[in-house]
Amino acid sequence: MDLSSPTLEDLALAGDSVHVPDDVFSVLVKKLFDGINDGNERNISFLSENDRYKNVDKAAVKQAYGGLVTMVTEAAKNDMEIESLSSLLEDCKFSGDRIAALSKAFLQHKPQIQILLNSIGNPPPHIVDIDWRLDYYIKNNHMDKVNEPVYLVSLKTEEAGKPGLQEVQLSCSLEQLQDLVGKLKDATKCLEKDGTVIIYTFQLFNTIFDEYEVPRIAVSLHGQNGAYIDIKTHIFNT
Amino acid sequence: MEEVDQIIIHSLNTIGCDIEDDVVSLKQFSTELIVAAAVSCVKSISNENDLPSTLPGGMSARFRMGTTLANAIQELGYRGEIGYQTFLYSNESDIRKVFMFLVDKLPKETVEAMDEPLGASVLLQKAISASVARHLTSPWLPPFLKDHGVAWRGKPPVWQREGACSLHGFYACHLTRPHGSADLTKKISKELKQYYCQCLPFVTNQTAHHHDTLPSVLELNGMEIAKQHEWENEWNQYGLASRLSEEEYKSKKRQRVKKRIIDQLKRDVERADAKTGLGPAENFQQLIDSITSRTSTGVKGKGSRFTHTEKLLFAKDEEKAVSQLVGETATHSEEELQKEREEELNSLREELNNVSSQFSNLDLDVKKFTAGIQELEERLTLQKKENEENEKSYSIKKRTLDLLPDAENNISKLQAVVDASAQRLANLANQWEKHRAPLIQQIQELKELNSKRESEAQVKLGEIKTFREKMKSVADEARNKEEIQKQLLAEYERMAKDVNRSAYTKKIMEIVANIKKQKNDIDKVLVDTRTIQKEINLLSGKLDRTFTVTDELIFKDAKKDESVKKAYRFLAALHENCELLIRTVEDTGIILREIRELEDQIENESNKKVLSNLEKITADYREMRKENAALIAKLKQKS
Repeated sequence: MDLSSPTLEDLALAGDSVHVPDDVFSVLVKKLFDGINDGNERNISFLSENDRYKNVDKAAVKQAYGGLVTMVTEAAKNDMEIESLSSLLEDCKFSGDRIAALSKAFLQHKPQIQILLNSIGNPPPHIVDIDWRLDYYIKNNHMDKVNEPVYLVSLKTEEAGKPGLQEVQLSCSLEQLQDLVGKLKDATKCLEKDGTVIIYTFQLFNTIFDEYEVPRIAVSLHGQNGAYIDIKTHIFNT
Repeated sequence: MEEVDQIIIHSLNTIGCDIEDDVVSLKQFSTELIVAAAVSCVKSISNENDLPSTLPGGMSARFRMGTTLANAIQELGYRGEIGYQTFLYSNESDIRKVFMFLVDKLPKETVEAMDEPLGASVLLQKAISASVARHLTSPWLPPFLKDHGVAWRGKPPVWQREGACSLHGFYACHLTRPHGSADLTKKISKELKQYYCQCLPFVTNQTAHHHDTLPSVLELNGMEIAKQHEWENEWNQYGLASRLSEEEYKSKKRQRVKKRIIDQLKRDVERADAKTGLGPAENFQQLIDSITSRTSTGVKGKGSRFTHTEKLLFAKDEEKAVSQLVGETATHSEEELQKEREEELNSLREELNNVSSQFSNLDLDVKKFTAGIQELEERLTLQKKENEENEKSYSIKKRTLDLLPDAENNISKLQAVVDASAQRLANLANQWEKHRAPLIQQIQELKELNSKRESEAQVKLGEIKTFREKMKSVADEARNKEEIQKQLLAEYERMAKDVNRSAYTKKIMEIVANIKKQKNDIDKVLVDTRTIQKEINLLSGKLDRTFTVTDELIFKDAKKDESVKKAYRFLAALHENCELLIRTVEDTGIILREIRELEDQIENESNKKVLSNLEKITADYREMRKENAALIAKLKQKS
């Protein structure tokens, strides 16, 4: 993990009991994770509200807070273990109690921070669900007798920044649907073999959907799993 | 043999046979278990056989399966005797031999995996495939059961993102953190301190949206690190070579950059001017003209006048509006009044125009006058200078005039003064030469010293550079080693679960110790037997020699004396009898050894469960006969 020298300076400030007294530190750690994780709790004003902290150097506390936020974010990004974290804190001259308190809180909140970090990004739409319907196409004005089954598949996708579900619709005949399912199965097989082919597989998924004139989408594995199981069972039933 | 059995059972368990915990040796293996274990071993070795893993019910089918299994194992390279009977009517030692061979042949994936080097990319790939596998195995969840697309599964719960609903792009804004509160010796300005204490929000509260906080924090850190690296590189490359202190170097660089920016801007402005043919000021004027073109007054000239007139115009408009309002509300019919007003308005307008033109004229006049003042002031200063010069020349001339009356005297005086000053000059020149020589020498010395120092500094700079490089490389190495250590630790933790290895080594060590002990014992026994053999040889030699000597002696005497003849006969008989006795003892020894061997054989045979196997065979034989009879009966029925 790389931390810049100003950040390390700020961290050392957080470990210094002259600038950040012990009682302030414990509140600071609590507020730290609240501020990172919870959008409603980020307005931190415990210093000015409470008379107890009158003599505390607020600028120093703010600086220490900034250092702690950076450290915690980077540590969660690198999925750091407690051992390396505490060695880092020891380098910044934290006392044993403070290291223990901070490590404990960090361990508790790490998944939450990682989820937050994971939510940064602009991915293509994601299939999460599927609806399908089987229509029976009887005739049209040119032909008196067609009698073909038509599957209407509606893929539910989630898009970044849009609430709710979007829909991608396609229709296909029985053979086309079997073809689609077969291709999806092949793609899943590729994934099962090796993690490195993952990009190739997503391309494969996209070419599959291109054939059915569906806009480009990334397939969520489980979603796709569920989806194709759904279709498969129906094919075997018919 | 227990250790061997345990190892075999453990390896069988790892390839997927369920052997119950209370089975600890091969003796306890049932026929079904033996067949199943052998089949799974063969399958995991070659992967081509399609043997059923359970014994079929029919006797003949069982024999067939036993034969194919034995063939498969022989194909794998087993040299010992093997057939269907090995599996169906098992005896412990044969089965052990077969299993030892099979376990030895098992593919050793784990060992190979350990040997391959674990780079970061390999670890990353492993992590990716693990995560993909987890995703693949997890069941599908409808989106409404997930909290913002995040599902928690497993124990302890592990989150995984399924869906993209709560994602947002990377958007970072600038964050401000207070600086320098750690160092009490450095003074921060009071205003800055107050701002830090009272106004500056905490870092997490500085972004417009909560979800922008983490990107901003990451970017800030990354930026600072990049800055640091860049500065270090530059300092190492150019900074050290320039031999300036850091601050000096920075200020110099700042000036350079500033100058470049200014030059660039100047050039751009010139280019733009050349293109449009108009200066920016003129452009602005055009714009203003276009705005004001609707007013008939036709404003030309300065901005101040323009704003002036504009103000007046607006005031007029307002007046108009007000008058209209008044007109509407009060009296509609008073056209005269309106006319009057209009006239008044026109006259006022004219007046205004007049006044404004007058004003502009006056303005111009003022400008002219100020220009004149400046000119006059310049002239004044010029005159003053001239005056001073004139005064100077006047004073000199006055002095010379003063000296004129007593001209000769004064000339001689002046000559003396001139001579004295010339002499003084020569003196001074001499003195200067005296001083100069050592000074020049000093300068040269100092120059030499300086150049030496410079070269030293150069050398030291080079050293510093190499040290820095070394530092970096060492730090890199340390980091690499730490990473490797971490990997190895992780691996070690993973391996520690497999206690088997240490147990194996322990057992092997024990076995080796045992063997050593036994070897010692054997050596002792060998030495014993050798000494005994020696003794025997010695004794028999002695016996032979004494016998021949006594034989000769007695034979000589026997010719003379009858009683000695008898003694000789007795001696011969004694010798013969003794020899017989010895031979008998040896025979008994041989027989005893044979007996022991036979006993061993008997034990071996009894180990082979011959009796039970025989019973089994007879039972199977009966069953087969029954099957055959049933088949014959069926055949007869059909025919």
